[in-house]
Amino acid sequence: MSSMNRRDVLKLAGAAGVAATGPWWRVGKSHAQRPKKLVYWHLPNFTPLADQIQKEQVYEFAKQAGLKESEVEYAVVANEQAAAKLAASIEAGNPPDVIRLYESNVQFYGSQGHLLDVTELVAKMRREPKGIFESSMTAVVYKGRALGVPLAVNPWPVHARLDLLEQAKVEYPKTWDEFIETSKKIQSPPRLYAFGMCLGLVEDTTDNVMNLLWCYGGKMVEADNRTVVMNSAANVAGVKVIEAMFKTHKIIPQGAIGWDNSGNNKAYQSKQAAFVMNPSSIYAYLDSNDKDLQKVTGLFPVPAGPKGTVNQIDTWSYGAFKKNPYPDIARGLIEYFMQPANYDKIIQSTGGRWVPVYKRLFDSPFWREKPEFKHFVNMAETGVPVSYAGAPTPAAGEVLNTHVIPKMIQRVLVDNWEPAKALEECDKRIVEIYSRYNKA
Amino acid sequence: MVRTTSGSRRILKWIGNGLLVVLLVWTLLPFYWMIATSLKADREIYGFEATLYPHRPTLAAYGRLFGTTPFMKYVRNSTIIAIGNTVLSLAFGCLGAYALARLRFPGRALIARGLVVTYLVPPALLFIPLFAVMSVLRLIDTHQGLILAYLSFSVPFSTWLLMGYFRSVPLELEEAALVDGCSRLGSLVRVILPMSLPALAVVTFFSFTQSWNEFLYANVFVNSVEVRTITMGLSLFVVEDVFFWGPMMAASFLSTLPPLVMYLIFQRWVVKGLTLGAVKG
Amino acid sequence: MLVRRPDNPRVAISAGPRGAFREDVLVEAPAVGRPRPSAVRRQESWLAWGLLTPTLLVILFLVAYPFFSAIYLSLQDKMVGAPGRFVGVANYLDLLRDEVFLRTAWNSVLYTAVAVGLKFVLGLTMALILDQPRRLNNVFRTLLFVPWAVPVVIVALNWRWIFDDLSGFLNNFLITFHVTSDIVSWLSDPRLAMACVIAVVVWSGTPFYSMTFLAGLQAIPKELYEAAEIDGASTLQQFFFVTIPRLKTIFLTTVMLSTIWTATNLQFVLILTKGGPASRTEIFPHLAYTTALGARRLGMGAAISLVFFPVLVVLIVLLTRRMLRSADE
Repeated sequence: MSSMNRRDVLKLAGAAGVAATGPWWRVGKSHAQRPKKLVYWHLPNFTPLADQIQKEQVYEFAKQAGLKESEVEYAVVANEQAAAKLAASIEAGNPPDVIRLYESNVQFYGSQGHLLDVTELVAKMRREPKGIFESSMTAVVYKGRALGVPLAVNPWPVHARLDLLEQAKVEYPKTWDEFIETSKKIQSPPRLYAFGMCLGLVEDTTDNVMNLLWCYGGKMVEADNRTVVMNSAANVAGVKVIEAMFKTHKIIPQGAIGWDNSGNNKAYQSKQAAFVMNPSSIYAYLDSNDKDLQKVTGLFPVPAGPKGTVNQIDTWSYGAFKKNPYPDIARGLIEYFMQPANYDKIIQSTGGRWVPVYKRLFDSPFWREKPEFKHFVNMAETGVPVSYAGAPTPAAGEVLNTHVIPKMIQRVLVDNWEPAKALEECDKRIVEIYSRYNKA
Repeated sequence: MVRTTSGSRRILKWIGNGLLVVLLVWTLLPFYWMIATSLKADREIYGFEATLYPHRPTLAAYGRLFGTTPFMKYVRNSTIIAIGNTVLSLAFGCLGAYALARLRFPGRALIARGLVVTYLVPPALLFIPLFAVMSVLRLIDTHQGLILAYLSFSVPFSTWLLMGYFRSVPLELEEAALVDGCSRLGSLVRVILPMSLPALAVVTFFSFTQSWNEFLYANVFVNSVEVRTITMGLSLFVVEDVFFWGPMMAASFLSTLPPLVMYLIFQRWVVKGLTLGAVKG
Repeated sequence: MLVRRPDNPRVAISAGPRGAFREDVLVEAPAVGRPRPSAVRRQESWLAWGLLTPTLLVILFLVAYPFFSAIYLSLQDKMVGAPGRFVGVANYLDLLRDEVFLRTAWNSVLYTAVAVGLKFVLGLTMALILDQPRRLNNVFRTLLFVPWAVPVVIVALNWRWIFDDLSGFLNNFLITFHVTSDIVSWLSDPRLAMACVIAVVVWSGTPFYSMTFLAGLQAIPKELYEAAEIDGASTLQQFFFVTIPRLKTIFLTTVMLSTIWTATNLQFVLILTKGGPASRTEIFPHLAYTTALGARRLGMGAAISLVFFPVLVVLIVLLTRRMLRSADE
């Protein structure tokens, strides 16, 4: 019996060994191993067509660069999962070579030294006739060097239902006061609320709230990226307007408190909101899914407050991670994407979702002939990032990602706090965040 | 006496029937909405024009699912991973459980209890160190990697459950086999396992569904479409700030079918296996 | 009263009024064969470790290593992408000082306790109903089990779609049939949000209870009821003096597992409410996740996810102790 036992042990050890190395139960081949010379993570574009074109471009470039197809990894990464995946891959020292980065992510990873310097490439883009929208540079420049390549500037226009305005015989409101009056005229709750303002614990809420506060002279932080000025009289005035729209005038649906980023899109697309502030993803969706609604949709600058109109833009950029043993190939891919001819194809296939970073491309009939894009050049030119008056720094990114400002507005709308008190709490949080980064 | 009991039995039965209807509605209504949504055109899905049932049923969402996404590939990957995980969980679980149930050695009680504690470890944070382990093993973006990652929750559970069940197998039977010259492993295979089929069914069923349903690890450890599972595929129906509910619900509905079929097959044993296994351990 | 279990004559089941289990849940392994010399014992020990190797490898590399690295992480001020500095228990202190912590702790306890309690009641009801003789019972068992087979992600998405304020089933239904005239904001009303999240958790988790409870009910020998009936016990008395005591161990195990699963689940809150409105549904797993990935503060995120751990450990030790004691009696 004893010898049998020993044999059992050996057999088992063998089995465990085989299981651990496991070639016999291997299925499919391994993908993310570094023999790949180009690893590109693709965040889905707005339309399947644009995805298709971009994929073709990746392989065309690879061919030109002398890479075999097997040396390219093209991975589609859902937007919502990108943060988790990127974090894990960076921690394991295995990030993708090229990926699209939103706003502050460029400076976050850039300041840690993870991103390749692409100043040359951006300089070349700026030398194109008419240049690029300089407003996008705040997102990508860190300590004087460009660490990301801006690929699109997105204005955040108000999507407005022209047919409803016409029915009520009113113009698109010039000021927020007018906006409230007009809203009351055209809405018919619960089937139709006037203003689909995002108020949930999501990024869009920070965008919507800050944009209104700017019009009342408020801001989050000074241009020095240090002095937090959330707790100001101007911000109190702005928050009070939101509070009144929600509680007194009831032009914002109660459910907006629970919306995710898609909430305002859905409200507009299903004709349950007459005004929403959002990048033109809504417009682009209508372009491929509901032409009737698209025809009666206007894109306008936000109404003015006592301090005039301020419009938001956000910037998407390409970033290339340094870890990559083939940096030239990564830079090459971005350069290829950004060649105006290639680039224009993608932009046009997104149905208005991406606004080209090259000013010259605005001269094409696509942008010129549609009245709804009339304001876009100006908005792209003068727009400010959500972190205004600061830049999209890592600290600003944390404020956005942890929903400090949405929590502030929910204090007012849900917990019925005084705006001043809510702003004070919010100010403290933001100060804590900024000081943590500024210390480091 | 007996009569009152049977009288109250009858009342209880009717109460039971009534409650059963309520519970069925509560359980199945969400399914109804899922299936109804998957059979509607966009116009009927959104807003107040949204209908309580599909007025003009259409398979467009399913068409889109199969036409524009590699849904069958996702199904294949989920299947490979779930089956691979189940097989390994069974094997590891049987061996470990036998040792814990039948052999004496120092540290036994500690390990037996430790199995339960492993559940406490919150997966939401483990994915980063686990990612590092997978990178070192070069298993990122492979079926094997996910199978291995899922062992982290399926092996402790199956070992624990089988341990409880193995203990209930009469010792005499095993003694007889050992006296007849059977090795320990031999007696495990010839005596214990045949008597533990219900518990094996439970382990099979749980390992399969848990792997099939997992989401977080799959999203972090897999990049390519060749390995992507169904739950990951679902997240691609959210593009930036737009949800495509029709195809998403179609995919959701289809992806609940395999675990359901598993349950139908194993139902007989699952109830019995749970009695003696997990529930006692 | 002693009843021999038909499938296992060696195991005698005691069924006094307290009906404590006396079965095989033993800390000590039953010895096979006669007392043996130490050489055989040593061999047994070797074999045991051999057999446990795969399980132990899995636990060591896939559970223990990540777990201890999470503890180590929680003692650093580590950000994603940057090396961390050792800061001792600073993260924990910061956390305890933050008023968000108290609110989250309260929410987590409330959420877990209510969800587990409701699942228990509902699961027991389901099991009792399904244990009654009835035509097509197998079909009903399968149907009531269905939620367990649905991936949590899908459950959460589907329910979010039911709760949707503008296009969801609930509001559409209520407005169509004139129950309400205005939209009910299920997930964004501070009075409703937590209840809605719990409802979804209960929906998804109840079948596990009904499955195990049903299994327990079916294992109770019919003789016990017959004997109780002869003694003149009413149906209610039978339930309290035969059924409940016999299910005690099952109750404990099920509640323990479910408490862990419920308390550590991230997906429901992440998909349904993201902790809102105004932090009404913020619980530890979600706070940890947003801190680690949203704020990219890995150290702090680890600290948050570990802060609930001791509570659960204590709970489990208490439960398993009781379980083992009642088994040993």
